[in-house]
Amino acid sequence: MRNRTPRLIGFFILVLFATMFALPFLWQVSTSLKTEDQVGKSEFDLIPKASTIVFNGDVVQVKPVERKGDRQVVEIIAGSAKGQKITVLPSEIHLTPHLEWSNYSEGFKAFPFFRMLRNTLVICFLVVLGTTVSCSLAAYGLACIPWKGREVVFWAMLATMMLPAQVTMIPLFQTFKWLGWINTILPLVVPAFCGNAFFVFMLRQFYRTIPASLTEAARIDGATDLRIWATIVLPLSKAALAVVAVFSFINAWNDFIGPLLYLMDDEKYTLAIGLARLQGQYSSDWGRMMAMSVVMTLPLVVLFFLAQRTFVDGIKLGGVKG
Amino acid sequence: MKSRTFTGIMFCMPLIVGILAFTVVPVVASFWFSLCNYPILDPPKFVGTANYVELARDDRFWHSVRNTFTYVLFAIPSGMAVGLGLALLLNQKVAGIKVFRTLFFLPTVVPLVANSVLWIRLLNPQQGLVNTFLKAIGVTDHWLPGWITDEHWAMPGLILMSLWGAGGGAVMYLAALKDVPGELFEAAELDGASPVQRFKNVTIPMISPVLLFTGVMGLIGGFQEFARAFVMTKGGPWDSTLFYCLHLFNSAFTEFRLGYASAMAWVLFAIIMSATIIVMRSSMKHVQYEQ
Repeated sequence: MRNRTPRLIGFFILVLFATMFALPFLWQVSTSLKTEDQVGKSEFDLIPKASTIVFNGDVVQVKPVERKGDRQVVEIIAGSAKGQKITVLPSEIHLTPHLEWSNYSEGFKAFPFFRMLRNTLVICFLVVLGTTVSCSLAAYGLACIPWKGREVVFWAMLATMMLPAQVTMIPLFQTFKWLGWINTILPLVVPAFCGNAFFVFMLRQFYRTIPASLTEAARIDGATDLRIWATIVLPLSKAALAVVAVFSFINAWNDFIGPLLYLMDDEKYTLAIGLARLQGQYSSDWGRMMAMSVVMTLPLVVLFFLAQRTFVDGIKLGGVKG
Repeated sequence: MKSRTFTGIMFCMPLIVGILAFTVVPVVASFWFSLCNYPILDPPKFVGTANYVELARDDRFWHSVRNTFTYVLFAIPSGMAVGLGLALLLNQKVAGIKVFRTLFFLPTVVPLVANSVLWIRLLNPQQGLVNTFLKAIGVTDHWLPGWITDEHWAMPGLILMSLWGAGGGAVMYLAALKDVPGELFEAAELDGASPVQRFKNVTIPMISPVLLFTGVMGLIGGFQEFARAFVMTKGGPWDSTLFYCLHLFNSAFTEFRLGYASAMAWVLFAIIMSATIIVMRSSMKHVQYEQ
């Protein structure tokens, strides 16, 4: 009994915090399904509702239009009497649970979601491909082949990690402009094919744990390094490569400043930049904004649940051992 | 042996090209630009340290420095404290820990822009979740903070928002807590140490390397804060959320003062380096590494 109380308190606090952390998500989803007149309400209500009246014996959804004295003019917005305006007493208007899916369908119209999704996925795919291949090649070169100067390359690489991106941002922008790469995905994709210091470092640490006897045996049998890399090292490092793939995917999906600098045309926008622009244009249409932010978040949440192990591995690799 | 050097270089070729093309050359160019007057369309013209002198005299520059330091000084320690608190809560032996861990971590997965859009709404003074909650616990309208719309509350609003991401640190602290040998706590308990003493003298020292790591990473990221302010406030109201990097971005890409912005980038580098060194040095005595 003595041991129970602190435990219960601990569990209670845990649930309290969990609720606080979950609330923004619930609120987001709930707002994305609310009607326009309900979004503006300042009461805390997570269940989306719509104003309804009983009309000709049916419950129909209405939208408040104006007040006339103590009466309210409402417009019927669904069913066969759609568009009809009638005057009712405020007490005749009821709130019934209702999911306003039009926030999503209307959002998709104002916001070319699928085009942006395709743009984003093309960039993500190329970034993931470039990063995993180039990083694992470089990590193999740094960990498994003894050669003069590899320490120099390794330390130079670590030094680049210290530098904030803002220092190189302006010259890179000018270079890409000079190359005619502005308004193409090249500035976002090509650097990924040249490795990423953090991921190379992580993979190198991992490759060093692969027993040299394994690679040496293959070498004595006449295998080239490229073959050893492809047939021995890559299969052994699937878990670490998954970490690189997942995290570089997320970085590319979330990247904001890159597309902001380099993509000019609407047709080329990624989700991140598209949503930021939408926020500028439709800042008052909250149901729709929330719907679109749900749509942008959902794929990452799904990815997280599919690859939860990889996430945890990655955080531990990056944190505890990095 | 000669061929091995060749093979090694070939494997690292993309990396070497990348370091040269995307770091070394731009770094040299950036330093040169910082010493030039460079209004994007005309070629850079050498002006010596004029940009740096102008920075020192620019009120908005100092304002952005103050804003960014305020953010870093409040958001990073409080984020770490919340993260550590969550980790301790997760380190209990109760059912469903994995579900809770997932829940706390999930906000860190939300894309930055989607997160910003969500929080503009949550921090809305009239209809936002935060103020609705405050109202529910009895805060009167007069005392409700104007969060991102009031210049005094915009920065606290962004700091509050950053706490929603504290679960990332929590997952790391939890991993470190799990690695602490149980005998240490048992020994401390036998010696009569209270829970607070055990926390202070066993838990904190044992996870101090991870605390330092997240602190330094948070610091580096905090000084580079950009996208949230860009999407949510554009630096306003009244420049109250004009972060250093937002000011830098505006100088470069809306005012087209590339030389000036490059000088800002180098000052940022100096600030981040000094802050990192100061934190590392001052924590050296307190951080315990195993063996």
